[in-house]
Amino acid sequence: MKRALLLTLLLAMIAVPAAAQGKKKDRRGFVWDDRPTFVFGKNINLEIKGRTLTEWRWFDPGIKEDLFHLRTARVGLKGKLTKHFDWEIEREIHEAGDTKKVEFGSWKDVNIVWNTYDAVKIRGGRFKMPFGLEQTTGISDLDFAYRALGSTQIAPGRDRGVMASGEVRRINYEVGIFDDDGDNAESNEPQFVAEGQDLNSVGPSIAVRVIGDALRVLPVRKLRSANIGFAYTNSDVPEGLNSLRGESVWGKHFFERVYVKGRRQRFGTQFEWTPGPASVKAEWMQSREQRLQQSNRDQDLSDFIAEAWYVAGTWFITGEKKNNNVKVKSPLLHGGPGAIELAARIEKLGFRSASTTGLAFTNPRNDNQIPNSDTVFTVGANWTTSKWTRVIVDAIHENFEHQFRTPKPGITSFWSGLVRLNIVF
Amino acid sequence: MIRRAVIALTCVLGLSAQAFAQTSDDFFNPEVLQRVELWMHSADWEKLKATFQENTYYPADLVWNGQTIPNVGIRSRGLGSRRGTKPGLRVDIDRYADGQHFLGLKSFVLDNLSQDPSGIRESVSMRFYTRLGIPAPRETFARLYVNGNYAGLYGLVESVDKTMMGRVFGSIGDDVQNDGYLFEYNYVLGSPWRFTYEGSALAPYKLRFDIKTNESHGDVKIWGPIEEMVRLVNETDSARFDEVVGARIDLPEFVRYIAIQSFLAQNDGFNGYDGMNNFFFYRLEDSTKHVFIPWDEDVGFLQPDFGITTRLEDNVLTRKTLALSSYASSYFSTLLEVSDSASAWLQQEMQRQFDMINDAMVADPVKLYSVDEYQAAKSFLLAFPDARITYVRCEVAKSTGSTRPAGCQ
Repeated sequence: MKRALLLTLLLAMIAVPAAAQGKKKDRRGFVWDDRPTFVFGKNINLEIKGRTLTEWRWFDPGIKEDLFHLRTARVGLKGKLTKHFDWEIEREIHEAGDTKKVEFGSWKDVNIVWNTYDAVKIRGGRFKMPFGLEQTTGISDLDFAYRALGSTQIAPGRDRGVMASGEVRRINYEVGIFDDDGDNAESNEPQFVAEGQDLNSVGPSIAVRVIGDALRVLPVRKLRSANIGFAYTNSDVPEGLNSLRGESVWGKHFFERVYVKGRRQRFGTQFEWTPGPASVKAEWMQSREQRLQQSNRDQDLSDFIAEAWYVAGTWFITGEKKNNNVKVKSPLLHGGPGAIELAARIEKLGFRSASTTGLAFTNPRNDNQIPNSDTVFTVGANWTTSKWTRVIVDAIHENFEHQFRTPKPGITSFWSGLVRLNIVF
Repeated sequence: MIRRAVIALTCVLGLSAQAFAQTSDDFFNPEVLQRVELWMHSADWEKLKATFQENTYYPADLVWNGQTIPNVGIRSRGLGSRRGTKPGLRVDIDRYADGQHFLGLKSFVLDNLSQDPSGIRESVSMRFYTRLGIPAPRETFARLYVNGNYAGLYGLVESVDKTMMGRVFGSIGDDVQNDGYLFEYNYVLGSPWRFTYEGSALAPYKLRFDIKTNESHGDVKIWGPIEEMVRLVNETDSARFDEVVGARIDLPEFVRYIAIQSFLAQNDGFNGYDGMNNFFFYRLEDSTKHVFIPWDEDVGFLQPDFGITTRLEDNVLTRKTLALSSYASSYFSTLLEVSDSASAWLQQEMQRQFDMINDAMVADPVKLYSVDEYQAAKSFLLAFPDARITYVRCEVAKSTGSTRPAGCQ
């Protein structure tokens, strides 16, 4: 893993002089603007991309997590195949648990897009299902080191599927059908199959999202950059200990899976506003999972509900405009301070049953579940030193609702912090 | 929300307990063949049986004598006794609700009787220990019904836990004496242990003594006294043994425990054929002293002529304790006392238990032994007490040089 890290650092260092040479008039051959690219002709190219996200962390109280952590390392290729098709593949690199040998891990994005028309684009392969503003933002483009909890535990994430998307009358739409129900909702329990029964699996699922600048109708010019979106997913979940599960920022369980069977639906709304150097983002999302015939006596139980929200704000104190491609006004290597952004986020992820009548238990087959939630406040600063490097400093406070279902039973309040180095090309 | 639920739960359980005025003594009443019902998801019962080697918990509603305790946790249990057709079960009352109790119990065991064709070896043994003053779990039998179907005859066994320690050791004023350190001896397959010192590191003792109370305390506090005790047992000479080791082990209780176990011809107990096995060990509250609690005695009554000094020299604690003449004398006198007690009770108790369980045993749809095997074991056991009492009395006389009673060979 150290070798992968060193290789990435080396590439990042090479990237600086290469980038300076990259502004060629003849765009054929090898060029390097944002990343190393082979240009074979007009609208035919191959880009090499990579990223490492490395963290130094602290915890109070300690929760048996390493203080140094390689969050992720990935390599990939992307490119254009004529003006009609874009494609990309990306795969994780990690250390094997036993041998510590660096090897390829799971596939991330593997897909191709037909994009002849703006009104209808078709994407096929493995990619993120259209649900969740933060979840569908790349890991190295986030305003914080970690996504809000709902974005990683309610939002489905990647899956294999086919999706149509486009823009019609200032409204962006995405609608797709997927094989399962996203990586974040993978089934937990090896399905127990009695003799003569079929092995069911999650899915297929459908996902729909629409995003528009609905506030444009208001007579406030500053609000024109605001977008509001709504999303929905629907899938079937097989019988088993297969519900969504509550994990803290650092992956500690605070709500274990319960038995479910039937339909899983997600509802989501998102808001994004980027007035100049600032941004405001907010999301609310909820999942409802049916528990048909799941009681101790094989009777129906009320829906199992996961609900999350967050509100986040950022501000570039060095004046850069907040958009998808932040252009650093005074890069560090040119003697400037880089781009410095302050950020804060408040969020909550909670789990409960629809029914609150009768005695509440943690039994995964009880109608009335004892609820639990994690309320998280994150404050931090992002220092973008060049187009390839960014340092993120975050302080995180978590507060759990249930006294004993926390990373350390009996303690409900936890502080943690990290310094993250992102190297991305 | 949680507080309200707990209060409501406490009220409901409290009211129901008052209404029936039932106690855990009623539940473990040895004179009663109980009916215990478990209601659980049909897939869970099949899964538990299919994966009986795992300790996965499943939720269930427990019904006994008109009381329903919702959402208890059950799992497969046992070491060599695990079976998929008739799983032994641990029932945890508070698995899914902090503070939920049933008749004051936090858990109990449903023993699948898988290692004893007679079914009664363990329950008779535990009643015998109790009768002779050794703390032992309460036991009786139950017809177990799962989702309304008869799932077999089970032993109903009190868990050796903090609740039982409170029952056995009582209170000093308002202070229930159950805050000591309770260990379950962990038999390590392929590594028989006979109380030899294993060095100053705590790891070997952690491996053999599973802590069951005060688990959050530090290793030194939990296992440090165990290491020290084993070292002192091995190092202390006979002149100071009673004073030094006696401060850490209740030696009179220990001698009584192994004498009763010897009388019961238990081949897999403290002085077992493969090292020590089948006991709990309790460090009394605010004390350095430990006592022994028998467990899992379902292979006792091996044979009437099981030697009364079998392997007494093998175990360091046994050997050094009985090297002291007072404890050797106590060992043999206890054997005679036990014989006297058995002569007035043991055979009748066996007959009573057989009468109580007979129909349930024969009707057990998943019994692990045939009716013929059960009947043979029954005949063997009913003949055991007389033969054993005679043998023990004769052997004690032989060992102590006293007059041999009539009937000795």
